[in-house]
Amino acid sequence: MSSPLLAVSGLAKGYHRGGKAIAAVDNVSFAIGPGETLALAGPSGSGKSTIARLVLRLVEPDAGRIAFEGDDFLALNGAALRARRARLQMVFQDPLAAFNPRATVARVLNDPLRIHGIASRAERPRRIVALLERVGLSPNLASRAIHEISGGQRQRVAIARAIATKPSLIVLDEAVSALDVSVRGDILKLLLDLQTKERIAYLFISHDLGVVRAIAHRVVILDAGRITESGDARAVINAPQSAIGRELVAATPKLHRTTAP
Amino acid sequence: MSVLRRFLRTPEAIAGAIILAALFAMALSASLFFPGDPQAIAGPALLPPFQDWGLPLGTDRLGRDVLAELFHGSRTSLAVGLAAAAAALVIGAIVGTLAGFAGGLVDEVLMRITDAFQTVPSFLLALAFVSVVGPSLGVVVVAIALGAWTGPARVARAEVLSIRERDYVAGARVIGMHPLEIAFREVLPNALPPVLALSSVIVAAAILTEAALSFLGLGDPNRVTWGGMIAEGRTVLRTAPFLSVIPGVALVLTVLGVYLAGEGVVETTAVRRSLS
Repeated sequence: MSSPLLAVSGLAKGYHRGGKAIAAVDNVSFAIGPGETLALAGPSGSGKSTIARLVLRLVEPDAGRIAFEGDDFLALNGAALRARRARLQMVFQDPLAAFNPRATVARVLNDPLRIHGIASRAERPRRIVALLERVGLSPNLASRAIHEISGGQRQRVAIARAIATKPSLIVLDEAVSALDVSVRGDILKLLLDLQTKERIAYLFISHDLGVVRAIAHRVVILDAGRITESGDARAVINAPQSAIGRELVAATPKLHRTTAP
Repeated sequence: MSVLRRFLRTPEAIAGAIILAALFAMALSASLFFPGDPQAIAGPALLPPFQDWGLPLGTDRLGRDVLAELFHGSRTSLAVGLAAAAAALVIGAIVGTLAGFAGGLVDEVLMRITDAFQTVPSFLLALAFVSVVGPSLGVVVVAIALGAWTGPARVARAEVLSIRERDYVAGARVIGMHPLEIAFREVLPNALPPVLALSSVIVAAAILTEAALSFLGLGDPNRVTWGGMIAEGRTVLRTAPFLSVIPGVALVLTVLGVYLAGEGVVETTAVRRSLS
């Protein structure tokens, strides 16, 4: 990779709890190329979600550097940071909590278009319809309230909101973990389709190595805030080198019987 | 409408709604039934109630029609009560949202100011404010709001503190929304229900404070107020107690009506919240 889209180096973040310092993320470095999917896998409490929040500048790191599209992302502030956020989007785990409970689908998709001046007021309804169609939803949903549509539809709206600003990287924080298995496959297909057509890179955070194998090019396995293993997704999952990697693989349900009928 | 039906399910809410409806009807029809100046002399002085059906509730020391005064006084009570409560809720919600959402130094400064207002008794504050600026309806409203905004501010701040950690606030930041827009468009509307639940208490307290100010002669002198009527009647309390009792009962019923209706609204919204 000559010029990575996102390069994270030496990232660290600690919290204080009851007078004790706990390192949530400790000296983590990785890079994502354009159009690539990097998965962050690890057990709960391993710092995956904290890394997502650090990369998105929702939480400020204690140490480390984040270069995004060649610029020092940590140096951006105020209006410059808000403008650059158009290129770096996020999809949350819980599709209900990710939206204002009072919002309608149209308002959710209207906000990014308005804030970043992507479309004029008159043009926005057409853009909202196009976004809904892009993620496989009926344009009739636009006037519905967020709590009126199903979980799978909500997650599609979340993806539509994320791609509204034409980002180069989307952070998917357990984005399919809360979905039905049947819906999960469709959402993964949609994500793969978006990636091939729009060349969007994903930072895919999951504890489910089955899903990781289906979508990721490379995987980083975390434990207690540190990287224990990284490499090609298939290679790592087929032959994990670290103890935590083997544990995660063992926890993934297999589709073959181990006992005779 | 099902919301209205749910509101009217409890007897308290019905009683409150009836009292408030009667009060609003009084306020709105005051100049219809009593088109003249309520402070004009209408008959002999100190006429007891139910003697002359032209003056059903009798007359006061100067011969003014008590019923006309009661009708016109309801306007002042309602106007001051609602305006002061609205002002207190708006100020409180804005201060609480800013403090809770901004955090850090802004939070510290705003909450210490809130503390300062809260440590001064609100009636003393209103008294001092009116006696310095001078009695008029607007000043009385501001004076009452000045002592009442701290409650809503604290409730709003506490609510905002919990909402600010929700995913959708992070989502609003991720799409690049301005912090002020996040605070007032995404967070504040969702923090409002518990703040609005305070409104009945504040309206009731504001009506009482207004009456107390008028009783002490610090109400708007150009308007009839129930507090002022009670003060007027005080001098002839032994010979004509009805002059104090009638506006007193009106005041009690009004405050009771506001409380009951407020309870009904809180119940209704509580059911709605648990359903969704």
